[in-house]
Amino acid sequence: MHYRRIYILPTRAGWGFAFLLFCMFVAALNYGNSTALFLTFWLAGFALVGLHRCHRNLLGIALEGATALPAFAGDAGRLELTLENPAPLMRLRIEADLPGVAPSVTDIAARGAARLSLAVPTKVRGRLLIDGLRLTTALPFGLFRAWTWVYLPVELIVYPRARGLLPLPTVAGVTPGAKMRGGLGGDEWLGLRAFRDGDSPHQVAWKAYARGAPLLVKEYCAAASPERYFDFERMPNLDSERRLEQLAAWIVDAENRGERYALTLPGSKVALDRGAEHRHRCLRALALHGLAPARHASTVTR
Amino acid sequence: MPAPSHAEPVPLRPLLWTTAAFAAGALLNVDRIPFWATAVLIACAAWQLSVAAHKLPALPKIAQLILTFLLVTCVVATFHTLNGLPAGTVLLVVMGSIKLLETRNRRDRYIVIGAAFFLLFAACLDRQALARLPLYLGAACLCCTALIVSAYGGAGLNFRTAGKLAARSLLLALPLALVFFLFFPRLPGGFWALPASDDAVTGLGESMSPGSISELIASYDPAFRVRFAGAIPPPQERYWRGPVLHDFDGYTWRRGAGQAYRQAPLRYLGEPFRYSVTLATGANRWWFTLDTVVGSPDKHAFFSYDYDLVTREPVAQPTTYNALSYTHTESSERLSDSARRLESALPPNRNPRTRQLAVRLRAQAPADPDFVRAAVEFLRTGGFQYSLTPPKLDFDSVDDFLFRTREGFCGHYASAFVALMRAGGIPARVVTGYQGGEWNPIGGYFLIRQSDAHAWAEVWIDGRGWRRIDPTAIVAPERLRRGILDILPDAVSGEARLFYSTPFLARLMQEWDALSTAWNERVVKFDINTQLGILERLGVRSADWTALATALGSGLIGWLAWIAWHIGRSAGPRPADRLARAYARLCRKLAHAGIARDVAEGPLAYAARIGRSRPDLMSRAQPLLARYAQLRYGPVSGQVAAAATAAFERMVRRWHVARRPPRVQPQNSKSA
Repeated sequence: MHYRRIYILPTRAGWGFAFLLFCMFVAALNYGNSTALFLTFWLAGFALVGLHRCHRNLLGIALEGATALPAFAGDAGRLELTLENPAPLMRLRIEADLPGVAPSVTDIAARGAARLSLAVPTKVRGRLLIDGLRLTTALPFGLFRAWTWVYLPVELIVYPRARGLLPLPTVAGVTPGAKMRGGLGGDEWLGLRAFRDGDSPHQVAWKAYARGAPLLVKEYCAAASPERYFDFERMPNLDSERRLEQLAAWIVDAENRGERYALTLPGSKVALDRGAEHRHRCLRALALHGLAPARHASTVTR
Repeated sequence: MPAPSHAEPVPLRPLLWTTAAFAAGALLNVDRIPFWATAVLIACAAWQLSVAAHKLPALPKIAQLILTFLLVTCVVATFHTLNGLPAGTVLLVVMGSIKLLETRNRRDRYIVIGAAFFLLFAACLDRQALARLPLYLGAACLCCTALIVSAYGGAGLNFRTAGKLAARSLLLALPLALVFFLFFPRLPGGFWALPASDDAVTGLGESMSPGSISELIASYDPAFRVRFAGAIPPPQERYWRGPVLHDFDGYTWRRGAGQAYRQAPLRYLGEPFRYSVTLATGANRWWFTLDTVVGSPDKHAFFSYDYDLVTREPVAQPTTYNALSYTHTESSERLSDSARRLESALPPNRNPRTRQLAVRLRAQAPADPDFVRAAVEFLRTGGFQYSLTPPKLDFDSVDDFLFRTREGFCGHYASAFVALMRAGGIPARVVTGYQGGEWNPIGGYFLIRQSDAHAWAEVWIDGRGWRRIDPTAIVAPERLRRGILDILPDAVSGEARLFYSTPFLARLMQEWDALSTAWNERVVKFDINTQLGILERLGVRSADWTALATALGSGLIGWLAWIAWHIGRSAGPRPADRLARAYARLCRKLAHAGIARDVAEGPLAYAARIGRSRPDLMSRAQPLLARYAQLRYGPVSGQVAAAATAAFERMVRRWHVARRPPRVQPQNSKSA
C-alpha cells in the first residue's frame, strides 16, 4: 500500500477520558492518596498503550487490490478493495472511506484478507478518478483515531445515463431461420465451446468440468435472434449527450432481450456480438466518447 | 452517524459489559451508598437489560427527567449537600444509573464507563487497605474490558478478545504507572483543605463509665503498631498511655477540660526506649505512647500536663511518629494545692460505703504508702472476679462494685481503686490506654489491638511522684500475662476466636498483618521524602525536584520507546509456524554471513550454493537445511514433528555463524 504516514488524534471519547484522568490526578495529588494516584497513572498508561495499539491496528495493512466497477451516471459505482493483513494479529474495525462517501467497515483476521465495497456516487459520464482512499480505525479502545491516506489511483468508468424515448432501431439483416450462436433463449443444441469471461455460470457444462474437462460452455442456438446496428451518426436530430444516453438505453435493452448488436461511433466501432463483456465494451465506448484519454478525468468530489 | 431512534434495538453485549463495569464501581463503594441508591442501580440495570434483551421500548424521556429530579432530591435530603466524597459518590451512582436507562449507543456507554472509572477512583481515595487491592484490580480490568467491548460497536467484541486485550494493555502500562508513582513529585500539602473523615471507629474516649471499655475489648481491630529501635520493654512495662481522667461524678470518669495544673517535672530512671508508633485511623485525638513519654515528637501533638499527647483533630490518616519514653520516673516536687484538690475530689453524698472503707483503712495505715498497700490488699483478698460481662452497676457504682457485685474488668477496678484512694485523701487519677500488644515476628513490630484497651490508676506519693498501680493486675494477674482470649474466650467474636486460637491461622493473620503494615508504611504513606530517599538510594547525591524530574522524564521516554517497539513489532509480517520462523532465523544468520537465500531458492539448492561459496559452513549448514527440507516436506507428523521442530529450533539458535571463513595458518595446514 502506498501510504507514507499514519496520523493519530484523540477521539471525543479520548478527550473525555483525558479530562477524567486530569480530575483524578488533581484530586489524588491533593489528597496525597497513593492508591488513587497509582490508579490514575495506570489508566493514563493504559490510554497510551491504546494509542500505540490504535496505530498498530492500521500499521502494515496492505491494499492488495482496488477495482472500480462501472455504473451509469447518477447511479453509484462500486470500489472493491481487498485489504490484506500479513501480521499474526487480528485487525479490528478498519474503516475505508472516500471523501463524501459513506465508509465501509471490516475486521481482518490474523494473516487474512478482507474485501470492502464502497459505493461511489457518480454524476456525469466519463472517467472518475479515485486517487485518495482513507483508512481509519479508532479501535481497540476508541480513545484515539488513526488514519492514513492511500494513493490508489483507480479509474471508474461512468456510462452515460441509459435513457431515451426512441424505439430500438429496426432489425437489420435478420435471416429468418438462420442459426446464430449464443443465448440461453434458444432450445437447439449447438455444441460446446471454451469458456469466455462474461459467460453465465448457468451455461457452463459443470458435468464435463467435474470429469476433468476444461471449463466449457453449452451453446444453444436462438431460433431467430435479431441483429441491431446502433450508429451515432444515423440518429435523429439530438445533441450528442442525448444521443449517447439513447445509445446506452438501446444497448441495455438489446442485451436484456438477448439480441446481438454492434455500435458505431465517430472514430470507433464495436463489432456485432452479445454478452456482458460486449455490453461493457460498448458502454465504455459511449462513456469515453469525445473525452481525452485519462488526463482530464474528473476526480471524486471533495 | 444516524440519530438514535427508539425503534433501533439496543445491542445487548456492550450494554451488559457497561452495566457490569458500573455495578462493579458501585459495589466498591457499597458501604457508602444508602440502600435506596443501590436499589435504583439494580432497577435501572435490570430495566435497560430487559429492554435490550427483549427489544422493548425504552423509558420515555419525561419519565427519566422526573426520575432524575426525584433522585437528586433524595441525595440532597440524605446528605444535605452534593459536595464531598460520600454525597458525590452517591450522586454519581444515581446519575450513572439513570444514564444507564437511556444507554443506546457508544457515546452513552462511554459516559457510563467513565462514571464507573470514577467510582473506582472514589473507592481508592476512600480506602487504601491492602485487602481491597484485588477488588480494585478486578474492577479496573472490568472497566477496561467494558471500554473495549463498547468501542468495537455493533454487537460488541467478544469477551475473550476484549478481556485479553484489556489485561495485556494494563500489564504493559504497569511500568509507566510504577515510574510515575515513584518519581512524580508529591505535594507536601494539598491544594485545598481535606475533608475530615466521618468514620465512626471505636477507640478510647474522653470518658469512662462502668462497662464502656468492654465493647473495645471485644473488638480485634488494630489500634496502633509499635516498632522499637533497640531495647524492648518487658511485658509488665508495656503500658500505652492515653487519656487521663480526672473528674468523677460518682458513676462516670471524665477527662475535664483545659490545663488544670502545671506538669510536674520528672526525673527519668533507667534506659530510654526509642520507638515509632503508627496509629490506625480513628475517631480519637490521642497519640498513644509508652508510659511515660519525654515530650511531644511533633508540633501537631500537644504534650499535656498529665503526660499524654493530644492533637486538635481526630486521627484521619494513618499517622506515624517517633517517640522516646522511660518506664520509670520519679518526681520529688510537691503537688500544688489546687492540683491536690482536683485529684482528690469526689462528689459529695455519693458512694458512702467506699468513704467509710477508706476511713477505716486510713485509721489502720496513716502513712500514704501503707494506705495504698492496704487498699491493694483489700482488692486482692476481697473475692473479686475478673469478668467482661459483669452485672449492671447501680447509681453509686463504686459502692455497688466493691460491696455487692465484686465482678468486673479493668474499668471497674481502676474506677473503684481511684475513688477509694481519693476517699482516703490521696491524689489519684484514672489512666486509660492499652496494655500489652502482640509481637509480630514477621514484621518485627508490636500490634496493639482495641482488645488490649485498659485502664489503670495513678496515685501521688509525696517525694516519689505519680506511681502507676494497676488494680486489674492485682485481681487477675493472668489477664496481663496472657491475652484476653485465654482468660475469657467468650469475650471476643467467634471468628476472632477461630483465627487466634488456631496456631496456623494465627500465624497467617500475623503474616497478613505484617504485609498490610508494610503496604501502609511503604505505599500508602509514600510521600516526597520517600521519593527523595529512593533517589538517594539509587545513588543520586542531594536528591531534589530536578532529580525527580529527570528520573520521571527518562522513565517516560524509556517506556514510550519500549512500548512502541513492543507493540509495533507484532504488526509486521511474521512466519506462521515455528518451523518457518526457525528457518527464517537460519536464513537470517546465513545472510549475515554474506550468503543470503534467494527468494525462489529451495533449502537443498541453498545448501549446495553454500557448499560452493563457504565450504567452512557446510558441516553445519548442510544438515540443518536438509533437516528443514525433511521436516517441511517429508512424512513427519504429530508429536514427532513437534519434538523435531523444537530440536531444529534449538540447533538454529545455538549456531553462531562465523562472518568470515577462518583464516588458515600455513604452518598448521598439514593436509593442504
